[in-house]
Parts: sequence; structure tokens; C-alpha cells
Amino acid sequence: MFHPKKPSTMNSQDRPMCVQGDSGLVLTTDPKPRLRWTVELHERFVDAVTQLGGPDKATPKTIMRVMGVKGLTLYHLKSHLQKFRLGKQPHKEFSDHSIKDASALDLQRNTASSSGLMSRGVNDGNAHITDAIRMQMEVQRRLHEQLEVQRHLQLRIEAQGKYMQTILEKACQTLAGENMASGNYKGMGNQGISDMGAMKEFGSPMNYPSLQDLNIYGGDQLDLQHNLDRATLEAFMPNSDSICLGKKRPNPYNGSGKSPLVWSDDLRLQELGNAASSCLSSQEDHFKDDQIQIAPTDLDRGPEMDSISDIYEAKPVLQGDPMGEKKYGASSAKLERPSPRRAPLQSDKINSPLMMNATGAMPHTKTWDVVLKEKGNKDYKGSKETKDTVECDVSVESRLLFLVLD
Amino acid sequence: MAMAIDETPTVDIDFSASYNTTATTTTTTTTTTEDDLGCCNWNDWSPVVDLDALSGDRDDFQNLFESMMDENVPNPDRAVENYNSPGSNEAMMMMIDEANGGDDFKGLRLVHLLMAAAEALTGANKSRDLARVILVRLKELVSPTDGSNMERLAAYFTDALHGLLEGGGGGAGNHIHGKHMLGNGPHHLNHRDDHHQTDVLAAFQLLQDMSPYVKFGHFTANQAILEAVSHDRRVHIVDYDIMEGIQWASLMQALVSRKDGPPAPHLRITALSRGGSGRRPIGTVLETGRRLVAFAASIGLPFSFHQCRLDSDETFRPSTLKLVRGEALVMNCMLHLPHFSYRAPNSVASFLSGGKTLNPRTVTLVEEESGHAGNGGFMGRFMDSLHHYSALYDSLEAGFPVQSRARALVEKVFLGPRIAGSLARIYRARPEEEEAGSWVMWLAGAGFRPAGISFANHCQAKLLLGLFHDGYKVEELASNRLVLGWKSRRLLSASIWSSDIDV
Repeated sequence: MFHPKKPSTMNSQDRPMCVQGDSGLVLTTDPKPRLRWTVELHERFVDAVTQLGGPDKATPKTIMRVMGVKGLTLYHLKSHLQKFRLGKQPHKEFSDHSIKDASALDLQRNTASSSGLMSRGVNDGNAHITDAIRMQMEVQRRLHEQLEVQRHLQLRIEAQGKYMQTILEKACQTLAGENMASGNYKGMGNQGISDMGAMKEFGSPMNYPSLQDLNIYGGDQLDLQHNLDRATLEAFMPNSDSICLGKKRPNPYNGSGKSPLVWSDDLRLQELGNAASSCLSSQEDHFKDDQIQIAPTDLDRGPEMDSISDIYEAKPVLQGDPMGEKKYGASSAKLERPSPRRAPLQSDKINSPLMMNATGAMPHTKTWDVVLKEKGNKDYKGSKETKDTVECDVSVESRLLFLVLD
Repeated sequence: MAMAIDETPTVDIDFSASYNTTATTTTTTTTTTEDDLGCCNWNDWSPVVDLDALSGDRDDFQNLFESMMDENVPNPDRAVENYNSPGSNEAMMMMIDEANGGDDFKGLRLVHLLMAAAEALTGANKSRDLARVILVRLKELVSPTDGSNMERLAAYFTDALHGLLEGGGGGAGNHIHGKHMLGNGPHHLNHRDDHHQTDVLAAFQLLQDMSPYVKFGHFTANQAILEAVSHDRRVHIVDYDIMEGIQWASLMQALVSRKDGPPAPHLRITALSRGGSGRRPIGTVLETGRRLVAFAASIGLPFSFHQCRLDSDETFRPSTLKLVRGEALVMNCMLHLPHFSYRAPNSVASFLSGGKTLNPRTVTLVEEESGHAGNGGFMGRFMDSLHHYSALYDSLEAGFPVQSRARALVEKVFLGPRIAGSLARIYRARPEEEEAGSWVMWLAGAGFRPAGISFANHCQAKLLLGLFHDGYKVEELASNRLVLGWKSRRLLSASIWSSDIDV
């Protein structure tokens, strides 16, 4: 007889009439009969799954056997199990990985699954709804906290940087004083000065040469002073480095701070320079886009999102050209696998235009290498460097024997 | 891969060639290059050991060497048989697992040689001659500034072992030859203070930029302190080893900008200064103090700085501390950060136990996380040390694979001396009791209560590591302990404690 078995159809009004077949299953009256997952059926399903040790352990075949419902095919179970697993996931993910998975994607999935669960049946639905809501609230609370922590971390790193600068400046002054006072320190003093000069470059405002500067091969150190304005946090480098490494691109930015190297040494310049400029040029195109993109893809949380991107745009970010290239690495990776790690990048960018004196940015290896070259360090194997860069993403050399790759 | 394999034979040739031919050229350039990374200085080293005289013995060892160095037939079994200590076995297993490719073979060879040298120095069949011969061979193969991580690491370990050999187990590396492989001239105490001031600063800056170790320790401690004193108006921090005072810059900033509780509390920092061993003259502590005062003024934090002198034996006496009623007392103990000097355990113990009597609100401890210390005698701890530093080197390289010079500087200024120092300590500690496992255990035993690591703290650590490299991991090993590690090797542990009595 054509009558609906359960009031499950109330969930969707436009559901066609349901038939209850001999097997006890409720089928629709489409030309292609589809199975209705009634509450009862779903409960049996859940029981079977729990018996088998959870949605991850259970397989459609075993579920079918345990449930022992005639007319239930593997296909039915496969799709239902998949939906069930997705529905379960926010629960597990949250408890297993406290922060990493509490990202926008999960949040979305959470909402999707909870709404999916809602259609399963009323009784189950209620429990699921409240659970889902509670979980969402928890996730959001954690995200808020995480943002706070990020902001604080940002400020703290900057404070450290400012302090480091005072140290370096003082050292610079003392050395300048020493050198002037004692005339010639038999090479050490001179060295000290050049060292200090070099260090000042990479010490003080944690430079990261801008895109424009990269075209200046071996620009003298005075020019580097202008990089003071283009300070960015080291945060970028390592992060983009790790991201790039993961992708195994022959990317000169594979190692953070390769860009300084680009213009340091004639020997290596050719290779690196070409690669770098090609990389950079492609980056420049995306620069503007990336800027805006990063915010949405990463955080994807309404009001906070806007404020962050607003802050970001408000700064004359053009000065932060280096950020462009980092963002390039960062954003492209972000698109691949968003994780809270991106968030620091985000907040870093926010403040970095302001922060002239961020600490711990890229060691300004350019000048360092130049200084060493000047000192006639003949043993430095330029060829070795190129090998490093070429092999950078293979990194056999860097793998130590003691390393157990996880 | 192919490139690496091709490289191996050429490296040998290069080394021997440069070894012979640049011996003369380097002498002319030593005056100007004296204080650079010193990559060429090791070439000046001429073997005093007369290999011909040892030819008789050498025949016996030749086979051993050849078998070890035979690339076609890696002989892990032989090595495993010889070294039974659990630590080294474990390490050997890992090495065997990882050994593939010419470059790794070379590394494996180096490890074998190092182990053989260490064994020769301290094992059952002690033979200084054998050790010397092995070290000669090693020095031919490695350079502190060139080559892969393993090669450079092996260079420093070789040097450290050499120091043990020549020093006769006494001081850390007294060199008879007078030439130091690490290119700092005839300094016998390869301490960070021996390096030029700018080198030290540069290396420290680089260390901070390239790795999260320093920041991790500082920030974790600071966050814990912040949380502990969130409602206090007066905070007093006693810092065991203030160094340049960098840790406090970010704490000050955080205190000034804290939202809950009374804003901008009065901060007092007392730094312990060491007397006259010459390592860190008191002047530096005062300089640090001046800098901190200036910094605090610049951000508007009420601040005062004090100095507390330690005894000549670096024992801390709580009575020498000036305390103010109503202030929250914090004991801050940073040990073993890569740029830190070694502190004698007695001194640390006196600080912690003395501190306990003062009933501090919080005690923050950051220390090196060692492997299974204490078992396996010298060899086990040698292998553990090798493992530890190789992870350190690897972590630096992974983040900055191309900046080998920068890394070489950090290695030269900080890590190399530490390797030498810790090997010397392991060597000397043999007859005595093995050192207490870790300060964490000591604190637990001394009656300190572990204080929890907050979500925010843990989160901060994870975010911080995220700024660096994927390979860094932070684990919460206990409710009060975060451990920073590289891949699977734990390196640095930060833990928070409070005194038993509730204040």
C-alpha cells in the first residue's frame, strides 16, 4: 500500500510518497526508488557502527552484515557511512587536535554536517543540533583566544626586536669608539667596523630587501639603510620557506632569505638572480591580489575578517614589497591547506608596515657575505652554494643520519 | 642524489689538496682573516702525530678503518657488535635505517669514525694512539665550515674529542699544538667570550632569527609569569642568568599592555652576577640593567633593576636578595639555551633551593632536554650528544638551507663551544655519579608544585613554531611542561612551578 511508514517526510515537504516494501525499508516512489533513511533505520545503522568500533572502523560490508536488513545494498551503506563520518568529524577533530583544525574550513564543515544531520531525523536531530552548536561555540571561543595570542605574540616579538636594536646600536657605538681611539686594531678593528656595519644591516631593522632593491646587485651598504623602512618580520621567511619546501618547487625562496643572497655574490648571482627574478616577477603580478586574498581565504570569519583586511589595506603596504613575495608563498600554500599557521602571517603583515624594528627578521646575509668576501675568505666554496640552491628541494644533504623523518 | 654521490670523492680530493697546497697561502692571509669564520684555518693544522712511527700499529687498525670506510659494504653489524650501550645501539639502528646514497654513506662513515674515536678514548680497550689516528683521519675529512651538516658537526665533535685527548681529561681542550681547528687562534678555552664581540652579537642575532629556541624559552616563561602575576601591582623577578636581558623586553611590553588587572605594575628585576671567573664580568650585567631601564622608560613601565652577587663558587644565598613586602616573586632560570654558558649544577641547585625558601609565586625553568641520559656511560651519552646536536644543526639548516655561512657562524660561536664543553663534562663525569637526570626531576623532587601550562601559552608556542619551520614540534609532556623538539628529537623543555605553600 502506498502510505508513508514514518513521519520522516515532514523534513522535506516536497518528498514524493514513500512506499514500504516487504523488507521493511521505506522507498520512494520515484522512477528510481531511493532509500529513505528513517530514524529507526538510522538508529540501527548507528548501533551497528558502534558495535563495529566506530565509523572509521566500520565498513559497508560489515555494517550490512550486522544490520541484517534485507534490501539494503552496499551502495546505500557506503553513502550513508560517508555522510555519517563527516557528521562525526568535528567532534573528533576538535578533541584530537586542539588548535590546528579549528580553522575556517572545519567551522564550515561543522555547520554543513550539523545541518546534514538535522535531516536525518527529528529525535536524533535535536541532540545533534545542540551538540553541533556547542561545538561551534567552543571552536569560536578557541579561535578568539588564538587570535588574541597571535596579536600578543606579534607585539612581544616586536618588543624583543626593539630591544635587540638597542644592543646592536650600543655595540656599534662602542666599536666605532674603539676603532677611532685605537687607530688600527690590526685588522680586528677594521673587521669589527665592517662587521658592525654588516650586522647593523641585518641586525637593526631586520631587513628584507624589497623587490626593487633586489635589482641592485651589490648595492652599497648605505642603500641598505633605506631598507629600514621595509622591515618585515622574519616570520615571513621561515614560514614561506616551510611552505615552499612542502611543495618541492625549485623555488629560490625555498630557503628563507634567499633573496638577500640573490644580490650578494657574483658567482651565485646568475643562477639565483634569474630564478629569483622570475619568481618575483610572477609574484609581483599576484602581489595585489594576494594581499586581499589572504585575509578571506585564511580566516574567513565575518567581522573579524574585515577588520583585519582593513587594517592591512590601510597601511601603505606598497612599502612592504618583500611581504609580497612571502605572501605569494604563503597565500598559495594557504589555498592548499589552511591552518592556523597562516594566521600569524596575517597578523604579521598587519603590523609589519608599522614595525620598523621588528626583531629576528632575516639575517641580512647579503652584506654578511659581501663582508666575508671582502675579507678575502677564499675558501668559501661558491659552487657549493649553487649546489645547495639547486638541490634545495631535494635536501638529501640536509638529512642527517639521525633524522627519523616523521 | 647523483650530485651528492659525485661530490663525495671530490670532497676528499679537495680537502687533501687544499690541505697541502693552501697551507702556505693561508699563512699570508691569516692576519686579515683571523677573525672570520676561519674556514681555512684548520688547514694550518699539521699532524704532529708521525704516522710512519705508528706504521706498525697502523697495520692492525688499517683493516678496521678500511672496513668502516668501505662504502660498498656498510658494516653496521660490526659497529653494532662493538658498541653495546643501549643509546648507541638505538642511534645505530636509526643510522642504518637512514643510510642510503653516497652522502649518507659519508655521514655514516664519519659517525663510525667518531664512535671509534670516542670508544678508543674511553672504552674497554683504551688506546690514545688509536684515537689520535682516527682523529687525524677525521680531520682530513671534515671542516667546520664546509660540507654537509654531518660533516660540520663531525668537525666540531672531532675537535672536542681532540681536546679531550690532548687535555688528558682535565680542562676542556688544552691544545698542545696550539692551533685550534675552529680558527680562533691559540685559545684553549673555546668559549663564547673568546670570540670577538661582534661575532657573538651577530651569531646571537642569527640564532634568534633562524631558530625558535631562544624565543620559545623566553615566551613560554613570560606567558606563565604574566598569568601568575596578572593581578599584582608589584612584581619581582630574580633572574639566574640574565645575559643580555632580552627575555624581559617582551615581558615588559606585555605588562604595559595588559588588559585585566592593574595596568603597568611596578617591575623589579634582580639579576645574579657572577664574581671573578672572568667569564662574564659584572660590568655586563650592569650594562644589561641600564639597557633594561632605558627600555622600560621608553614604554612607560615603572621599573627598577638590581644586581645580586653570587659567591665565588656561584652559590646563591637568599639572604643577599632584597625583598619588598607584597610583591610577587618570580624565579627565572634559563639554562642551556644555545647561546648560554655552562652553569655548574651546584650553582643552579643553590639558586632553586634558595629560591624555594623565599616562597616564590612562580618558578620558570628552561633547560635542555637530553635523551636517555645516565645510562650507557660515556658512549651512550656521547651518542646522545651527537644526536642532540645533529638535530640542532638540522633544524637550522632546514630553515635556512642556503645561508651556510650564517649557520657556520652560529655553530662556531655557540654550538661548537657547547659541544666541546659538554663532551668534556661527560668525559670527566665518568668516574663520579652520573649527573641528575634533569632539573625538572630535581624540582619535582625538591617539593615544587607543578603549575599548569595554559591554553594560551601552549597556543603561543605552537604559533611561534609555526613562524619557523614545519619540523619543529611542541609537546605538552606534563601539565606544566612544554617541550620543543625538532622532528622526533626533543631539544628544549620549558616548565613552570610554584612553591608548595599557597601564597
